[in-house]
Amino acid sequence: MQGDTIREQQAQLEEQRQTIRELTTPVLQVWDRILALPIVGGLDTARTQEMNEALLQKIVETGSEIVILDITGVPVIDSAVARHLLETVAAARLLGAEVLLVGLSTHTALTLVHLGLDLGGVTTRLTMAKGLELAFARLGLRVVADGVAPPSGDGSVA
Amino acid sequence: MGRVPIIKIGDTLIATVQEDLHDRDALDLQADVSQALERTGARGVLLDLTVVEIIDSFLGRTIADIARLVRLLGARTVVVGIQPSVAITLVELGLELRGVPAALNVEQGLGLLRRLNGREARNERRRLV
Repeated sequence: MQGDTIREQQAQLEEQRQTIRELTTPVLQVWDRILALPIVGGLDTARTQEMNEALLQKIVETGSEIVILDITGVPVIDSAVARHLLETVAAARLLGAEVLLVGLSTHTALTLVHLGLDLGGVTTRLTMAKGLELAFARLGLRVVADGVAPPSGDGSVA
Repeated sequence: MGRVPIIKIGDTLIATVQEDLHDRDALDLQADVSQALERTGARGVLLDLTVVEIIDSFLGRTIADIARLVRLLGARTVVVGIQPSVAITLVELGLELRGVPAALNVEQGLGLLRRLNGREARNERRRLV
């Protein structure tokens, strides 16, 4: 029954692939109307497509207007990756969501400039925190300290 | 093919597409929207594409044309209700509807129109000063 074993292995492999796919493209709702998409690892066409589908679905489900795309975990941004990122930005925009790109390292920024790659008017911020701050501003929200919590504690959001 | 009904609420026109648009329907829509704008002097057009499952290059271009036309007539267009699969296809086709603001649904679209027109009003005032 060698055929069965191979089929079993293939099924297992497919299952693992599925798991990896799910692990690599989580779409998080970080606030009402704000989604975050931390990308870890390289972006190829297949992955971008899956990511886009998951993201757009979530935008519709949650009625989100801002998506923070965190590329801290993307090792290299070359022209292909930049193109994929722009596809995501364009697709989300068609559903009325603005994409903020965060987590660009200086190294990445330098590479982009040297390669002459233009991220076409995509709003970028250094860190997820700065991106979130901008997202709050876009939605007319403000983060204020309530004066009760110790200064080192978590800030509260009004 | 039936025409796309265009209803007026306040100074906004809402065109809700009822079924997939063929080339002829898209051109009719373009003509109808411009006539309705002319007649009503509305400031905004909301194009509801919720039921549309296929946007080909012709329809994509026509939508962009409608937005440009509306702009020339002194109003703004917002498309709403584009389905995720349609958005992905559009981007793959390179039809990103640049210059056409989009929103998730009619409610958010109305909000966006208000913001766009508000910004315009502020610019107008600034120019007067």
